[in-house]
Amino acid sequence: MSSTDALATSVGRRTHPSGVSGLRGTLLLVQWQVRRQAQFLPLMAVVQTALAVSTVLGYGILIGDVAPEAALFLATGAPTITLIVIGLVMTPQAIMQARTEGSADWLRTLPLPRWSFLAADLSVWTLLALPGLVLGAIAGAIRYDISYQLSAWVLPVAMLVALTAAAIGYAFAMLLPPLITQLVTQLLVFLLLLFSPVSFPAANLPEWLRRAHEVLPIEPMANLMRAGLAGDTFTASGSDWAIVALWCAAAVGVAVLALRRRG
Amino acid sequence: MSSYTSHPPHLPPPTGPSPSEPHPGNIVLEVSNLVKRYRRSAHPANDDISLTARAGRVLGVLGHNGAGKTTVVNQIVGLLRPTSGSIRVGGIDAVAHPARAREIVAVQAQANVPITGLSPRKAVELVGRIRGGEPSTVTRRTGELLDALDLGPWADTPAEKISGGIARLTAFCMTVVQPSSLVILDEPTNDVDPARRRLLWAAIRDTAARGAAVLLVTHNVREAERTVDDLVVLDRGRVLATGTPAQLTAHTRGELLLELDGEHLPELPHGLRAATETAAQATVPVPAARGAEVVAWAQAAVEQGQIERFALTPASLEDTYLELVGAGTEVAA
Repeated sequence: MSSTDALATSVGRRTHPSGVSGLRGTLLLVQWQVRRQAQFLPLMAVVQTALAVSTVLGYGILIGDVAPEAALFLATGAPTITLIVIGLVMTPQAIMQARTEGSADWLRTLPLPRWSFLAADLSVWTLLALPGLVLGAIAGAIRYDISYQLSAWVLPVAMLVALTAAAIGYAFAMLLPPLITQLVTQLLVFLLLLFSPVSFPAANLPEWLRRAHEVLPIEPMANLMRAGLAGDTFTASGSDWAIVALWCAAAVGVAVLALRRRG
Repeated sequence: MSSYTSHPPHLPPPTGPSPSEPHPGNIVLEVSNLVKRYRRSAHPANDDISLTARAGRVLGVLGHNGAGKTTVVNQIVGLLRPTSGSIRVGGIDAVAHPARAREIVAVQAQANVPITGLSPRKAVELVGRIRGGEPSTVTRRTGELLDALDLGPWADTPAEKISGGIARLTAFCMTVVQPSSLVILDEPTNDVDPARRRLLWAAIRDTAARGAAVLLVTHNVREAERTVDDLVVLDRGRVLATGTPAQLTAHTRGELLLELDGEHLPELPHGLRAATETAAQATVPVPAARGAEVVAWAQAAVEQGQIERFALTPASLEDTYLELVGAGTEVAA
């Protein structure tokens, strides 16, 4: 046996079975990322509250007299807006910053499976997005004096929506150059707030935009959240579930491929 | 057969090779004819680079900014794919199996790793456990490393309040907290204060003494000279020279360097000529046999006020390095 082979064998012996060490390593990486982001938690809560409140109040001003149905529509749309903004805007900006400062590359030198980086980041950003759900719903309830009929699956749905948004944002940040990522994410906020049927019914949009939203994940995300928050008034269809799940799977797939890519 | 891990990492560094370790000198990293071309770049970042790192030894990779040092590192850990050539780490083909190579390689990147939200101790411990260390072993080893680098006062300080140098040393600890076959350090001394730099050099030697092959990327040639066992000098993506520091400086062994400071330098002793001369400073190669004569001449010149100060030194690795790569190319690189 040559000397290098002997070394490889002895080193191989100390390595854990990759499945076990992958999961353990991922949990430790989550701990690393959560501790690193923890200082921003209060700030994130403030930003999310501001987003939710301004969505609810701002559209109220635009519409003028808000009828009870419109109020419920607005209030149940606000949590979706905050979830999507965290995922599509804040996640890619954080990833972009980590790439620019070099810490993303260093993390990738650690002996962890590539999917664990995605799993750790998505866990962190999915959790960070959840306060917005609660704050958005509360803001709407207070402003318009409405009550919700929460379904049992509202939390899993919120997590699916947050995960999908974060995965799409992550894929953007991994595939596009940092400057373009920044521009795209800022454009997305604009499109999301003004041209998406989250805070107003899809019927208000022009025909072509309505068609676009039939394949984009935003309207299905809003429908799912609405049905979860006010099940007596709104329902979600099977295709809402399917579209969100497809986007989620596709974004995760693209992100993992981007993580495995070598320049 | 030898076992790499049987030396418990918490014991003091061994004074010599023990039978339970890989034989010092075993090849751990073998880079052969490595070429890396980036798209949209006329010149290759790495152009036919070959180098070998061995267990228990420190391989210094020297070169100016832009010499291609970090590009080599990024290919070893699978962040970049070589255009051609091969990389073997511990017998593993690192190009075909980057994940397996990463299991036995630890890297301190050139860029600082932000650890805001953590303390140095917590960051080192977490990375030690991510690298597969047992909690109790990692805790003990972290404490030892923080002490060895005199980081005690900063160990539990939130990272927002630590300086760049302390962050750099923390990154070093994160790299060596758990034993690895190959330890890659990319400019580890940047931002580190002089006192702790000495401790860091000792810790780097200790890493090799524990059995790792150390690949040390630096442009701090003067300090690296005393730490490295082997050297590779890179310039514009190519290997300019390889060898031990003694081999690389052998041709200057019979030569001393006389440095003179002064506004108007006097005429030099017969047969000597300045190699470099600036406004108020000159460097003059002197045959070793004429050392005593030149010291007497220079001392007299100081007493007469013709020069302000002088120094006579053996040619250093830095002199050889600058001779190889050219003193003026760093600005252009």
